[in-house]
Amino acid sequence: MGCCPSSWSCGPPVSLAARLAPALGLVALAAALLAAPAGLSSYHRALTFAILADVALAVGWAMFSGPSRYLSLATGAFFGLGAYASALTVSRAAWPIPVLAGAAVAALLALAVGLLALRLRGPYFAVFTFGLAELVKHSLIWYETSVTGTVGRLIMDPPGTLALYYTVLAIAAAAVITAALLRRSRWGLALVGIGADEERAETLGIDTVRVKIMTFALSASFLGAVGAAMAPRWTYLDPQVFSPLVSFQTVIMALVGGAGTLWGPVLGAAFLGLAGEILLVKFRYLYMLALGLTLILVVLLLPQGLAGLGRRRS
Amino acid sequence: MTGALLADIVIGGLTTGGIYALVALGLNLQYGLMRVLNVAHGEFLMLGAYLTFTLHTSWGMPPLLTLLITTPAAFAVGVALHRLLYARVLATGEAGGLEARSLLLSFGLLFVLQNGALLVWSADLQGYSYLATPVRLFGTVFPANRMVAAGVALFLSLAFYVYLRRSLAGKAVRALMQEPDGARLIGIDVARLHARCFGAGIAMSAATGSLVSMLFELTPFMGLPYTVTALVVVILGGLGNVLGSLAGALLLGLVETAAVYATSSDIRVIASYGVLSLILVLRPSGLFGR
Repeated sequence: MGCCPSSWSCGPPVSLAARLAPALGLVALAAALLAAPAGLSSYHRALTFAILADVALAVGWAMFSGPSRYLSLATGAFFGLGAYASALTVSRAAWPIPVLAGAAVAALLALAVGLLALRLRGPYFAVFTFGLAELVKHSLIWYETSVTGTVGRLIMDPPGTLALYYTVLAIAAAAVITAALLRRSRWGLALVGIGADEERAETLGIDTVRVKIMTFALSASFLGAVGAAMAPRWTYLDPQVFSPLVSFQTVIMALVGGAGTLWGPVLGAAFLGLAGEILLVKFRYLYMLALGLTLILVVLLLPQGLAGLGRRRS
Repeated sequence: MTGALLADIVIGGLTTGGIYALVALGLNLQYGLMRVLNVAHGEFLMLGAYLTFTLHTSWGMPPLLTLLITTPAAFAVGVALHRLLYARVLATGEAGGLEARSLLLSFGLLFVLQNGALLVWSADLQGYSYLATPVRLFGTVFPANRMVAAGVALFLSLAFYVYLRRSLAGKAVRALMQEPDGARLIGIDVARLHARCFGAGIAMSAATGSLVSMLFELTPFMGLPYTVTALVVVILGGLGNVLGSLAGALLLGLVETAAVYATSSDIRVIASYGVLSLILVLRPSGLFGR
C-alpha cells in the first residue's frame, strides 16, 4: 500500500467468472476446514488449530493497525487477558461464554487504553502498548504471588478439542468477515483517512478519536477471544501468557503478508504459523532468531508495506 | 529513620543511579541525535556483560580491564549496524514512517541478539565473584564491587559530558541535536557523525554491561529491563539533555531504592513500566519533542 490508496475500496472491473473463482475457492476452503477434524490425525488437527488461531490474531490486529498505521504491540496483553478471563470462567459457565468474556474484557481494556494512548503517535504509541503488556504481566505476577499466593491457575474440565477447534475456526472466520466488511464501510475508509493524514481526516469531519478507539476495541475483542479459546488447551495458565512474543509474532505475520490488505495477514499467518508450530518446539531460540531476522529483512526490503505503519508526518 | 538506613538508601540509590546514567546516556545519544528509538539498546549491555564474563572466567582477565576490549568492540559493531541497517532506513527518507520503521528494526535486532545469546550461553544464570569484599560507609556495609562499578560508570558519563562540552566533535554533536538543518549547512558530515554517535551509544551500553557483570548474575534476558530504565531516564531528563540524563538517572536510582525498601522488590518492574506509561500519557508527543 502507500502508492495507491484508492486500491482500498475499488479495483479494475472484472468478469463474472473471475469474480466467482475466489468465491468458489472460499467455499471450498470453508468446507475443508469444517470437515478437517474428521479427516486429520490429532497432530495435524492441533496444527490446523494453532494456525487458525494465528490467522485470527493477525487479521484481528491488522483490522486496526493496518489501515490506521498505529503500530500496536499490545496484542500479548489482550490475548493474555482473554486467556485469564477464560480460565476463571470456564468451569462455571457453558462453553462459548468464556470466549465472549475474554472478548469483552479485552475490548474494555482497549477502550481504557485507547482513551489514554491513542493521542500518542508513531513510536510513542508502539512503546506505550509494549509497556502495557509488560505492566499487566508484572502486575499480575505481583498480585498472584502477594495476594492469592499462587503463581498460576489450573483449568478444570475444559471443553473438548473438537469444540475448541470449531471455536477458533469461528473466531478466525468472524475476524476475516468483519475485516472485509470494515474495509467497505465508511468506518473503514475513515480509518484509512486517519492512517494517511490524521489532521486532514479530522478537518474533513471524521470523529477520529471515536473511530480509532472503537476500532481498537473491536480489534482487541478478537485478540481476547483467541486467547480465551486457546487457554483451555494448556490446562495450566500463568502470567507468562502475556508474552511479548505473541505481540511480535502477530505484527510480523501481518507485515510479511501485507498489513494493508485483507488476505495478507491470513497468508502471513498461515505461512509463519506453520513454520512456527513446526520449529518453535524443536528449535525455540533459532526460530525466534529467524523471526527477528525476518522482521529486519521486511523492514529493509519491503519498505512500502512498512511505511504504511508509521504516522506520515514530518 | 535511622542514619544507617538513610545512608543505605542514599548510597544504594546513587550507585544504582550511576549505572543507570551510563546506559541511559547511550540511549539518549541515539534517540536525541537521529530519532532512532533503539529498543535493542539493553541487549548490547547483555552482550558486554557476557563478553566480560567470558574474558574473565576463560582468560582470567580482570573485569575492569575488559572495558578496554568491550567498549571499542561495541563501538565498531554499532558503527557497522548503523551503516548496514539504520542508515538504509534513514536514506529512504520517508519522514513519517522513519521512526516506526527504525523501531521495528531494533525490535528485530532485539530478537536476534537475545536468542543468539540464548543459543550461545543458554538461559542458565551465570556469574562470577569479583571484589566482593565489604566496605563500611556511614554505618552501612556495601560490597566493594558496587562502589567501583558505579564509580567507573559515573566517571565515564561525566567524561563523556566534558568531551561533548569541550571538543570540536562534541560541539558538532550538540549542534546536530539542537539544529539538524543548520548543522548540515555549516558543513558537518551528518552521516559520519550519526554512525559514530550510534556506535558510541552502543559502546556505553556494553561498558555498562561489563560493569554490571561484576554485580549480578547474567541471563540473556537481562537487557530489556535496562532498556526500559534507560527510556524512563531519557524521558525524565529530556531528549538530548546530557546533564538531564545524569540527574534523571540518579533520581530514579534513589526513588527505586527507596520504593524497594518501603515495599517489596517485585514492585520495581511495575514502577518503571508504570512511570514510563504515565509520562507517555501525561506528556504525549511533546515529551521527546523540541
